[in-house]
Amino acid sequence: MEKELLFKTNNIGKIYGSNTVLQGINVEFHRGEIVGLIGENGAGKSTLMKIIAGVTDASMGTMEMNGKPFKASSMMDANKYGIGMVFQEQSLISNLSAAQNIYLGREKDFSTFGLVNWAKMNAAARAALDKLGLSNISPAQKISDMPFAMRQMVEITKVLDIVSETANDRALILLDEPTTVLTDDEMKILFEQVRLMKEKGNCIIFISHRLQEVLDLTDRIYVFKDGHLTGEVETKDADEYKLYEMMVGRETNGEYYVSQRQTVPTDDVVLEVENLAMFGSFKDVSFKLHKGEVLGLYGVEGSGKEDVCAVISGDEGKTAGTIRINGKEVSFGSPSDARKHGILSVPRDRRDEGIIGILPISENISVSNYGKNATAGLISNKKQTENANGWIKELGIKCEGPMQRINALSGGNAQKVIFARVLDSECPILILDHPTRGVDIGAKGDIYSLIRDITEKGFSVLLMGDTLDECLGLASRIIVMKDGLVTAEFDCPADNKPDQVEVVQKML
Amino acid sequence: MEQKNKSFKTFFIQNIYILSAVLVIVVFFLINNSFLSLYSIQNMTTELAPLLPMACGIAFVLYAGSIDLSIGAVASAVCVITGLNVGEKGNIMILYMLLFGVMIGLINGLLVSKGKLPSFIVTLCAQSIYRAIAIILSNPHGGGSKNIPLKQRVVVNWATNKVLGLPILFWIAVLILIICIVIERKTAIGKSIFAIGANEKAARMAGVNVTLTKLCAFILCSVGAAIGGIMYTYKLKSSVPTIGDNLYMMAISSVALGGTLFSGGKGSALRTLVGVLTVTAISSGMNMAGVNPLWKNVVYGIVLIAAVAINSEKGGRDLIIK
Amino acid sequence: MNLLSKKDVKSMTIAEQFVSKVEQEALSNKIRVYAPMILLVIMTIVFSIYDSHFFSLKNLVNVLGQMAVPLILATGLTFVLLLGRIDLSVEGVMGLVGSAISLLLLNSRNSNDWGVWGVILPLVLGTLCGFITGFLHVKLKIASFIITYAISTIVSGVAVLLYNSQPATVKAQWVIDASQTYFLKIPLITWIAIIFYIICAIILNYTAFGRAVYAIGDNEAAAVASGINVQKVVIEVFVLSGFAASLAGLVALIRLKLGQVSLGENQMFPCITALVVGGTSLSGGKGGMLQTMVGILIYMELLNFLTIIGVSADYKNAIQGVIIIIAVALTITRGRKVIAK
Repeated sequence: MEKELLFKTNNIGKIYGSNTVLQGINVEFHRGEIVGLIGENGAGKSTLMKIIAGVTDASMGTMEMNGKPFKASSMMDANKYGIGMVFQEQSLISNLSAAQNIYLGREKDFSTFGLVNWAKMNAAARAALDKLGLSNISPAQKISDMPFAMRQMVEITKVLDIVSETANDRALILLDEPTTVLTDDEMKILFEQVRLMKEKGNCIIFISHRLQEVLDLTDRIYVFKDGHLTGEVETKDADEYKLYEMMVGRETNGEYYVSQRQTVPTDDVVLEVENLAMFGSFKDVSFKLHKGEVLGLYGVEGSGKEDVCAVISGDEGKTAGTIRINGKEVSFGSPSDARKHGILSVPRDRRDEGIIGILPISENISVSNYGKNATAGLISNKKQTENANGWIKELGIKCEGPMQRINALSGGNAQKVIFARVLDSECPILILDHPTRGVDIGAKGDIYSLIRDITEKGFSVLLMGDTLDECLGLASRIIVMKDGLVTAEFDCPADNKPDQVEVVQKML
Repeated sequence: MEQKNKSFKTFFIQNIYILSAVLVIVVFFLINNSFLSLYSIQNMTTELAPLLPMACGIAFVLYAGSIDLSIGAVASAVCVITGLNVGEKGNIMILYMLLFGVMIGLINGLLVSKGKLPSFIVTLCAQSIYRAIAIILSNPHGGGSKNIPLKQRVVVNWATNKVLGLPILFWIAVLILIICIVIERKTAIGKSIFAIGANEKAARMAGVNVTLTKLCAFILCSVGAAIGGIMYTYKLKSSVPTIGDNLYMMAISSVALGGTLFSGGKGSALRTLVGVLTVTAISSGMNMAGVNPLWKNVVYGIVLIAAVAINSEKGGRDLIIK
Repeated sequence: MNLLSKKDVKSMTIAEQFVSKVEQEALSNKIRVYAPMILLVIMTIVFSIYDSHFFSLKNLVNVLGQMAVPLILATGLTFVLLLGRIDLSVEGVMGLVGSAISLLLLNSRNSNDWGVWGVILPLVLGTLCGFITGFLHVKLKIASFIITYAISTIVSGVAVLLYNSQPATVKAQWVIDASQTYFLKIPLITWIAIIFYIICAIILNYTAFGRAVYAIGDNEAAAVASGINVQKVVIEVFVLSGFAASLAGLVALIRLKLGQVSLGENQMFPCITALVVGGTSLSGGKGGMLQTMVGILIYMELLNFLTIIGVSADYKNAIQGVIIIIAVALTITRGRKVIAK
């Protein structure tokens, strides 16, 4: 049965600075269809969704909705065409009721002389909720009093209501990982609603890391990798293993990750973690980090690996378990404590947590170790500048000089400054949290060889790779996490890297 | 060409503080030629002396991206306490009052850094507390503030004696300025203050001890305010419980005029000095030109808004807009 | 109970832990909403036991008679605090409007007698101050506390200049009458305050504008995505706060009949204390008119009680400072890691 075409893209692409995150995407969505989008973190599926929903612009390509050219400058604009997106992070106002949230910004329809008729609005919200079979939600209930799943339903109702105003049952609804925080029962309800919307002729796009859900719910699946559309498959022809294979794709050769210089871990344990837990995020995490090794930590976003990293770097507090450094038990209250114990991190969010934007490069490098350039407590600015010059030369940072502000640098060069900072601190244990995120290809190569350099010097690295390929390529051992638990551990010697499909199976 | 224009514009904005200082001085000189006479300059340096430590002190809190609204009240309280006791206890009161300043900064700083409370609300409360202390001590029987002249002026007279033609108070202020310059350029704590002001999250992740650094910024600020208060006692030779009411506006306008970024991370004590000079010149100049002194607050308010608006980093990470 | 939950933690899956975390948050939010009301009841009971006159009709009327100015100011400030902003200019605006009215009506300083315009024009002037504050805050992107502090200094400076250090006594007969008018034993000015409060409560709870205020304070990005013109709403809120301060200036003038800057002195601080104690969060989005009224009542009772036991005005200010820090510490929503500015 051929379904009516609702929406299509022609060669859509997106470039951030010198980074191409999405290229040549041609997808089609039909009425009465549920389409799954899968791929690793950063594969480009979220970027595509944002472009369709009007959150960001496409750098190239065109789109069509209902056979007419489509271009949205904002989310509200996209709503007018009948396109709505439900975000991972909820965008509800917690102190307002369900009805008030659903009609936020559209109160005019219920007003006389500027006063809103709440009864009328609640009745409309009742109808909107009933349409989705959500009779258990009261329109007058405050969002802050609702369980999480119910909030998600309100959010979906809101989006659907806005969209159906203009596109009666010709809506395109984007669900970005709506199930991560839901329990099994709640998920069943959500799936029922989604199928109901489909029956009526709407198209739903479903993004999820849980492949079983995708297989259960969707009719068709698009697979993304590294900003490209790498596959399309009818759900009835697919199983989990096939999807794994499609997601993983071709492997990069060892040369790219300078594997010939990969160190063999010594028996010297520098950091040991036992039964570490953080309430609501992860538990029972144990591992050992040896001197001179790169230990990879991998899992999908939300698997708890971010928080493991945050606890070890002192950014968050643990709720149970022990951390030992060189056999001695330690506990940190802040990253500054962790630094004193020899642990420092290259944070994931460079703009927000990495660079100190309005300060010059030299200050950015010295901030973790002022003492290095000081005598009797007084810092020599001359020494500090010389020190910065040394790092600029050693790491090949392209800049006007050590006094240039760091926010004038490109992503790759700014990241090298952050590397200079952690190396300058002389901390022997480094946490590299997505060290190549938003970095152009040339700088990526530099960072890979830099990681080899420092492990050769005896530094130990805990790595959260940006992609599985990268994580496997760099690490000598990796730990896989899923839903807050460690699910597997793989040895990754330079000449015998584990099969990616095998790893992916453990993490999804 | 366009880039050249742009860099000229940045250069202009970055150095507008010097221009404004020169402009103010020239204008008042044209209005009244005795504005730059020796007598007038001596007068201005006496005026400037207490303001400089206060401005340099609060600048540290601003570098760190916070605010301290209590410095005027702290100066008032210190002025009253010093005035009431210096006759009996002698100049050792200075030391006590410095410790008092450390204590105040410690309390403010702990509430802000450990208690994670917004600095403006903490210091607004502190303001009302220290203002009340000043008034109650000056007039324990109730009924509002009262100025009390010192009983034994001999103890404090040294401060207004002149060395090289300028009062000792001024030289002390200069010494404090130098100390502030050393702190901000040469010490880890000074540099950390700038780092947390520029990007607190990043500084934290880089291993800067944010709590300690904030604490130090508030202590430096309150000590600056305390020094200001002591200097007023020595200068006016009496306890004035309302002395701080207008000082806050003068101090913060000075810092803003010096180009310190109110969102934190940028500024210097030398620039603050220029700001203090400008504000003092405005104040003295208006006096000499015979302008109603009631205009001063209006002028400072406008100067403050203009200076903050010109110096804010439009393109940068200027986050506090709430 | 505690033991049981501890055992649960071990066997819970991460998803269950997450859900229980969210539920706990919802519970503590609920407690935060009701705590001030419970506090009000407890205070009333304790004070009544301590002094039997406290819970008398006479004392109640006394309390109500004094609450006109704080209620009007707090009503206006509620909107500002809900946005997560602050307005430190209300004292200055009060002083300015009061002084201006006193000079335009029949008074002891000059021969003006502008009648009704003598009230309307200053009210417009004060409201305009609110507009300027909001406009500069939004367009120049200057933090609200600094811009309102500066505006406060400017307008109180202008006010003193208006009467040039010699405040005018109002001689207009209707002002004198108004100050002596009582209705149900409660002064007219308190009725004005109550009417203003009710109108603002309707605006906050029954208009799109009111919803937008909550939305911006809670989640500015979501408000923008819902098509709310944030800049416009913020300016409107400062206009409203400016008008409230002006009205408070008029009311204070009717009470004292002397037009001077000190009409506004020590007025803002109690209001912020009351709002925060009532449960309005300084970080925005939480609170409302009911909370404002509860906060004002708590504050008025406390003030009344302190007067009964003989604490002087100077100490009251210091006590307020301590109360507000404690209340803010209990109610503020803290960023996960970052210390508030």
